[in-house]
Amino acid sequence: MKPYDIVIVGGGGAGLYAAMEAMKTNPSLNIAVLSKVYPNRSHTSAAQGGANAALGNKAKDDTVEMHIFDTIKGSDYLADQDAVDLLCSEAPKIIRELENMGTPWSRMEDNTIAQRPFGGAGRPRCCYCSDKTGHTILQTLYEQCLKKGVIFFNEYFALNLSVKGSRSRGLIAMNMKTGNVEAFSARTVILATGGYAKMYWNRSSNAAGNTGDGQAIAYRAGIPMKDMEFVQFHPTGLRKSGLLVTEGARGEGGYLINRNGERFMARYAKEKMELGPRDLVSRSLETEILEGRGFDSPAGKYLHLDLTHLGADLIKSRLPQIREMCMQFEGVDPIDEPIPVRPTAHYSMGGIDTDNFTRTIMEGVYAAGECACVSVHGANRLGGNSLLDILVFGRIAGHTAAEEAGKFEPGNISEAELKEHVEELRGGMHASGHHERYGELREELGQTLALNVGIFREASLLKRGIQDIAELKDRFKKVRVSDSSDVFNTNLMQVLELKNMLDLAETVAAGASAREESRGSHTRIDFPVRDDAKWHKHTLATQAKGKVVLGEKPVTMGRYELQERTY
Amino acid sequence: MTAPTDQHIEGTKDVTFRIFRFNPQVDSKPYFDDYTIPVERGVTVLRSLNYIKEHIDASISFRAFCQAGICGSCGMRVNGLSQLACTTQVWDVLAKSRESGIIKVEPLRNLPLIKDLIVDMDPLVDKMKHYSNWIDSTMPESSMGKKEFLISEAEFLRYDKATDCILCASCVSECSILRANKEYVSPAVLLKSYRMNVDSRDAIHGKRLAELVKDHGVWDCTHCYRCQESCVKSIPIMDAIHGIREDAIELRGMKDTSGSKHAEAFMSDIEKKGKLVEATLPIRTNGIVWTLQNLLPMAVKMIMKRRTPPPPPLVKSAKGIKIFREMFREMTEHVRQDHKSQKK
Repeated sequence: MKPYDIVIVGGGGAGLYAAMEAMKTNPSLNIAVLSKVYPNRSHTSAAQGGANAALGNKAKDDTVEMHIFDTIKGSDYLADQDAVDLLCSEAPKIIRELENMGTPWSRMEDNTIAQRPFGGAGRPRCCYCSDKTGHTILQTLYEQCLKKGVIFFNEYFALNLSVKGSRSRGLIAMNMKTGNVEAFSARTVILATGGYAKMYWNRSSNAAGNTGDGQAIAYRAGIPMKDMEFVQFHPTGLRKSGLLVTEGARGEGGYLINRNGERFMARYAKEKMELGPRDLVSRSLETEILEGRGFDSPAGKYLHLDLTHLGADLIKSRLPQIREMCMQFEGVDPIDEPIPVRPTAHYSMGGIDTDNFTRTIMEGVYAAGECACVSVHGANRLGGNSLLDILVFGRIAGHTAAEEAGKFEPGNISEAELKEHVEELRGGMHASGHHERYGELREELGQTLALNVGIFREASLLKRGIQDIAELKDRFKKVRVSDSSDVFNTNLMQVLELKNMLDLAETVAAGASAREESRGSHTRIDFPVRDDAKWHKHTLATQAKGKVVLGEKPVTMGRYELQERTY
Repeated sequence: MTAPTDQHIEGTKDVTFRIFRFNPQVDSKPYFDDYTIPVERGVTVLRSLNYIKEHIDASISFRAFCQAGICGSCGMRVNGLSQLACTTQVWDVLAKSRESGIIKVEPLRNLPLIKDLIVDMDPLVDKMKHYSNWIDSTMPESSMGKKEFLISEAEFLRYDKATDCILCASCVSECSILRANKEYVSPAVLLKSYRMNVDSRDAIHGKRLAELVKDHGVWDCTHCYRCQESCVKSIPIMDAIHGIREDAIELRGMKDTSGSKHAEAFMSDIEKKGKLVEATLPIRTNGIVWTLQNLLPMAVKMIMKRRTPPPPPLVKSAKGIKIFREMFREMTEHVRQDHKSQKK
């Protein structure tokens, strides 16, 4: 088969934008998008709140510079400042571009794109389409890709990069419809598979498939992971399911209330109150719960997100999906009653280490979106910056790969190599004597991560977490795949996803244990302050001989000096 | 197979999930497997399926992703009705269940079956492509990103609800036309087409409409409303279908297709007589030649069985036709005014 110029893994916002931009950059290229779900199912659709861009539609005095500052401060000064500059400068252009292509946006009275306040932002700059922004952006991108005739391989599960020396020859993937393992020889590969926060399993707002497949593939190929210890907990997950209530609910004026009826955020962020940055608000909720000011229920302790004072009209028009979700999953109508919430693992700041052009250290391999770590979010991402990230860097990835594809020899994956992958995949998994249940391992992984590598971390807890993960990895060697069919073997797919999560969990725990300071989402009880002298740097995690090896990388400064971060 | 259910915790019910099974590699035809598990209040069908897959039978295959009702992956038929497994409460289904304690889970209809609860979505994607379900912007690609289109909130509201669609294919599964004709455009694609057609940024309304009025298109819908009733996002899909028809008549003229001519003949009969003149309806819709070629044998059979409708001169006006005509005129005038103000 003719090798591809570009193979894109992932059909969410980043992957689709990359495909579109690559075709625009060079229409003669042979491009394929692989996705383990139909692209319109991707987790981009779950982003409710919106995307930040200093359009100045709502606050006339908003500027790109202010957006840059908010993002750097929000990142607790761990973001690379040149990358943030790129992100924020491109923002107005890319939002307008989407608008020009047909994304529906809510509108201001003067018919421009509507904007609302969001956590950690100095001005209301979050562009939105009621509470379905990600969904409508994803639909637009998918529609535009269909229009352009992008070639999709839907329901293909990526297994590994094929690596020769310092470069990749393409990708090995399993066709879910047939169970066949297929080779995609390629000059370049763009990894855009989304985040890894589902490793927290039941304490995560993520889709079941956000298992860090792209990161794990890169990690196994020797590409470093950056800042993996930074996992964002969203303050307002629904108590029972962990599903998310958008920050937009607080943006519209919702209150956080404890069992004493206090708006407790006054204790932690006097000025911004409920609209403090996510890490701070999550810690505040967790502290309220730990200090006994939470509500009690069989499904765990929780707090109230109160929207009742906003009135039925506003809730129905601006937060309709949220209302429906609360009724379906929690049995609560936010018009009449407060919503029971607690923090939930939500976003992975860490990911595949890339430069500002989305290049990884491996020739011909690029990464974009939540899968990558440029880094624009540093130690804590601001609400409304993740959709922006996938759009801006998805586009850059498509453009860069299209420009550079010609530089690389076409990869060629041999039959023999493919056979090796098939054998490795099948080998042992169906074997007799394999008795470990994947569901149990997965749940235990989530539990130990939430408990030991969660919102509040400490040396002994982390040690415990690392031990647990090692034990789980050991037990995984005896995991059982009881479905032996080829067609749509979701049992096998979930086992492979678990393998990816286990590999990455190790890097999260290792990074968290090494970083002896508190910064952004990473809070060490035993090292409660930010330690710029020792830790103002990125961590890198690389796999060598099956073990995590930690390294570091300096933070690019240049715009703003280090300051204490208060809200 | 049964999960251990000997201990009864308060607030749980034993539920038997009767699950549709088919593995194309080994089964010549589908069958059902029963799995009985205890289910608490508040648990969804999807969580129950996950439980069965993790604890009892890992080979059951179904799609699920976001588990929050936004990705559209887990569309399936639960006790005969197409819906999302992740937003469907087990106890709610039980309350309406015909067979006590049993919930039947089957794949969506009208799409090719792959395995168990998984159907092939490709035909739907192919239709989205065929009917240009995208905005072809009036702005050239080279100018994009520089300035916004100014769109009123009123225009946004015209397609706001339609853009809630998550392509879960519940409407596709419930559609009565698709059951008879797999080539039919399908409700989801009509909805998306409508959403594009009321967007002022789109430059290919005419092209899209021209495709929609052909065979298997918008005129094939028989208004059974099943799509709208089953929509998991409560989208008024029939409004979209009517919207496309009205646009087609307005933009392309009455004489364009048999569908529009049928509608016109219908309206004129109602206006004149207050009821249908069925005998000449096919002629007015499809012309005399088509009618003679296609319906003559049936007409002969109908005459033999004395089932023919009365000839036109014998169709008397309905009782109270004068008052009805006044009401009819008033109503059509209202609709016309509404359209005018919408267009503004």
